[in-house]
Amino acid sequence: MGSVYLLSLRQLAGRWRLSIMTVLAAMPVVIAILMLGNGTAPSVAQFETAVLSAMLSGSIAPLVVLAIAAAAFGNEVEDRTLANLTLSPVPRWQIALPKLLATITVAGPFIAISAFVTAYVAFLGDPRAAIAVTVSAVVAVAMYASAFVWLGLVSTQAIGIGLLYIVLWEGFFSGFVSGVRLLSIRHYSIALMHAMDARRFALADQPGTAAAIVLSSVVIGGFLFLTIRKLRAMDVP
Amino acid sequence: MSAVPVIRVDAVSRWFGSVVAVSDVSFDVMPGITGLLGPNGAGKTTLLRMMTGLAATSAGTVTVFGESVRDNTPLYKRIGVMSEHETVYGFMKGREFVRMMGKLRGVENLDAAVDKAIALVDLADAQHRSMQTYSRGMRQRMRLAGTLVHDPEVLILDEPLNGADPRQRLHFKHLLLQLAAEGRTIVISSHILEEVEELADNVLLIVNGKLAASGGFRAIRAALNQRPYHVRVICDAPRKLAGAVVNLPSVDAVHVDPDGGIIVLSRNVLDLQVELPRLAQKESVSLRRVEPLDDSLESVFGYLVEN
Repeated sequence: MGSVYLLSLRQLAGRWRLSIMTVLAAMPVVIAILMLGNGTAPSVAQFETAVLSAMLSGSIAPLVVLAIAAAAFGNEVEDRTLANLTLSPVPRWQIALPKLLATITVAGPFIAISAFVTAYVAFLGDPRAAIAVTVSAVVAVAMYASAFVWLGLVSTQAIGIGLLYIVLWEGFFSGFVSGVRLLSIRHYSIALMHAMDARRFALADQPGTAAAIVLSSVVIGGFLFLTIRKLRAMDVP
Repeated sequence: MSAVPVIRVDAVSRWFGSVVAVSDVSFDVMPGITGLLGPNGAGKTTLLRMMTGLAATSAGTVTVFGESVRDNTPLYKRIGVMSEHETVYGFMKGREFVRMMGKLRGVENLDAAVDKAIALVDLADAQHRSMQTYSRGMRQRMRLAGTLVHDPEVLILDEPLNGADPRQRLHFKHLLLQLAAEGRTIVISSHILEEVEELADNVLLIVNGKLAASGGFRAIRAALNQRPYHVRVICDAPRKLAGAVVNLPSVDAVHVDPDGGIIVLSRNVLDLQVELPRLAQKESVSLRRVEPLDDSLESVFGYLVEN
């Protein structure tokens, strides 16, 4: 498993990807500083809705993860080096899991640092709030990573489909249609954040904390399972 | 030679929508070198991909050592596959690549195995260079080292000679013959027919997705007895010989070449071999050279494609 993980890290940590991630990850921090420096500081609810939910969990995290995860298998399908892995005598989960872990390893730190600094600045150095935001963001990274790694394996149009999903589902429908929140990674992540710091964040969540924990696990495990199944059944180019 | 086939392809077909890539192909592969030949688009690569388990069959079965090869990952400890695609991990050094391939295949005593595989392809001097800097031939050889590192019993090589220069081709041929002599089963596809002819004990000819012929090169030739042979005859009196040769029962047609020779078209070349010298002696014509014009795999293959 270590070989696939190290190979994937080297494949995914390209300079252009890291540059894009750095710019994207810096945006919530900049926005937080601008909002606070404006004189009319937003309420916790306003900040949470605009920056933590819509921007960090609903846009920046999925975009950063998409840039990495779509390439985890996508590049190898495209340049036809995937056979080097699938022709080895290892179970398919030992290929899929390291790919997922490598994606989280590359994308996770950018989002974690961005989330921590944003929350730390916005909540004037409150470590509990910063940790709640950071952990929930990292869980969001894991969920998006599992979904987009699978997407990169099943479609050559993973970036396009992923962008549509981020804009339409996570960005638009889940913000306006309450039932959609039950099927939204962004809202699972926010529900987890609320549970970790109920003192600061409101608790009127949909889904609730328990459901968010279960559904987050289902998303991560479910897409990993689909990736393994696809690897076993697909014609490898 | 073992009586049990190492690879068995049984009534295998593969179609993509309405396009039939491989149609009802059956053959057995025994230890030694088997050449898989056919024109571009004949279905060779699709067939090889099914033989390696990379692609599923639409119908029929492929077994290696008696086991289904599809979704049978433990079997890959015994199989080495080199696909036709030449892409390599440009960020890796050659040795790193071979080492990774060995590690993925669970090779014990990895460093020794890597040394051996790289030495086999004669790339020890370049092993610490980035593969991005390799020539096409060097990349192919390092990929072959990655294929050989776990010492597989079966080798399936799709167009492995692509990009190799003449010296590398010669080295490659010696290497394959050496590996086959050690008892391995090797399937090699190539469009360089002369080299396959020199290498392969058995030949499988795939045309339009079907197995057009199989067996030893000479067996295929025998199966093509109905095919007219062209034989060039160089002599001191071509027009005189042409006039006499055309009456032989084994000869279908004679053409006098502008360069002084004659081209004889025969469907019974064995009789022609006997009759021609006798006739020349009788006509007092001195034969300087008699040579078949189409005794290569290329010509056999062309004939099968046309017909």
